[in-house]
Amino acid sequence: MIHYLPTIRSQEQGFTNLAILAVEAKELTSSRLEVDFSRCGFFDANMAAPLAAILARVADAFNAVTVVNVPSAIERILRKNRFLAGYGYAPMDDANRTTLPFRRIQLSEQGLFADYLEQHMNGKGIPRMTEGLGKVFRQSIFEVFQNTVIHSASPFGAFVCGQFYPQYQRLDLTISDAGVGIRTNVRRYLGQAISSVEAIRWALQDGNTTKTGSQPGGVGLKFLHDFVALNQGKIQIASRLGFYEYRDGKETFKKLAADFPGTTVNLEINTGDTSAYRLNSEITAKDIF
Amino acid sequence: MSKEIIVRVFDVVGGPLCVSADDGQAVHDKIVPLLREDSKVALSFGNVETLISAFLNAAIGQLYGEFPEDKIRALLSVRDMSQEDLALLKRVVDNAKVYFLNRKQFDQAWKEEVGDEE
Repeated sequence: MIHYLPTIRSQEQGFTNLAILAVEAKELTSSRLEVDFSRCGFFDANMAAPLAAILARVADAFNAVTVVNVPSAIERILRKNRFLAGYGYAPMDDANRTTLPFRRIQLSEQGLFADYLEQHMNGKGIPRMTEGLGKVFRQSIFEVFQNTVIHSASPFGAFVCGQFYPQYQRLDLTISDAGVGIRTNVRRYLGQAISSVEAIRWALQDGNTTKTGSQPGGVGLKFLHDFVALNQGKIQIASRLGFYEYRDGKETFKKLAADFPGTTVNLEINTGDTSAYRLNSEITAKDIF
Repeated sequence: MSKEIIVRVFDVVGGPLCVSADDGQAVHDKIVPLLREDSKVALSFGNVETLISAFLNAAIGQLYGEFPEDKIRALLSVRDMSQEDLALLKRVVDNAKVYFLNRKQFDQAWKEEVGDEE
């Protein structure tokens, strides 16, 4: 089959457009999928992560996947971030060092994710954030990745990609998985058929976790949310038919028009932020336990 | 009371990144026998650069499912932590207390997914 991919921005519509591709290709086996970019006017680089997660599922069903007719401006972006390298296109040097290249990381190889950040977050024109911001951003990214490891049950690992926009002082980092999605975990936990949107809403509440074992959970997403609020950044979560966005102090929950497989978290941070990130200074080591 | 034993997180994890539940589990497994024999334990976070909640949940949070709060307070301490990391740990500890208070219902919670319709 041929799928004409429309414009993909890191917005609700972009996630919906990717979901439509996933739905259309869902039943395809031992066949061929041609992803045709000729109708794609723009592609946000970080969205290579969810696209790759979707294509990994298609390829797993013994299908040959090709990417064709990529407009030159988009081709340049997707060769720089090496997404297209998996589809026969030569990688292109990222001279300005604004790319956090596309990478697929198996969940059993968590150390590779740390190596990835070490290699691509430091120097190379990736923002010179204040020390405090850099630390909290790093924590936030690891929280997202660890959530993927613990909850996704993704057979194909995690798909990571990012882009720095120096003129806007924004850095996007996106982690996608091909796992079960938030809805399935919350439904199993609550024993209620709640919607994808309500499942995301539930998971975002402080203290809520679908973990049931000896290790508690339910702090990570709240931490992320608080960080993004302080930083005036943005967080987006797409999972199955649910979409969540938090930006400019405003939360949006939307039902997607198509079933978006797995979970994608996109973190956008304001790299120009000079906040001190020294909170709760009244807490001492004696007050903890 | 025996002498305080310092457990250096950096050494247990083997580096400055405390970013996985697995590594947190390793720290937990190091502490537990010491607490069982009523030793005082000081957990040092010296040289640790990045710390996340999933690590702390495994390393420290789960102790609240195994030991009474009083005992943890009497025997365990932390040192060499930044203010921000202390704040995160406080959040993890407060959350763990609630988690284990409701543990029974959590344990019974995991069920088959109910349907595939929205």
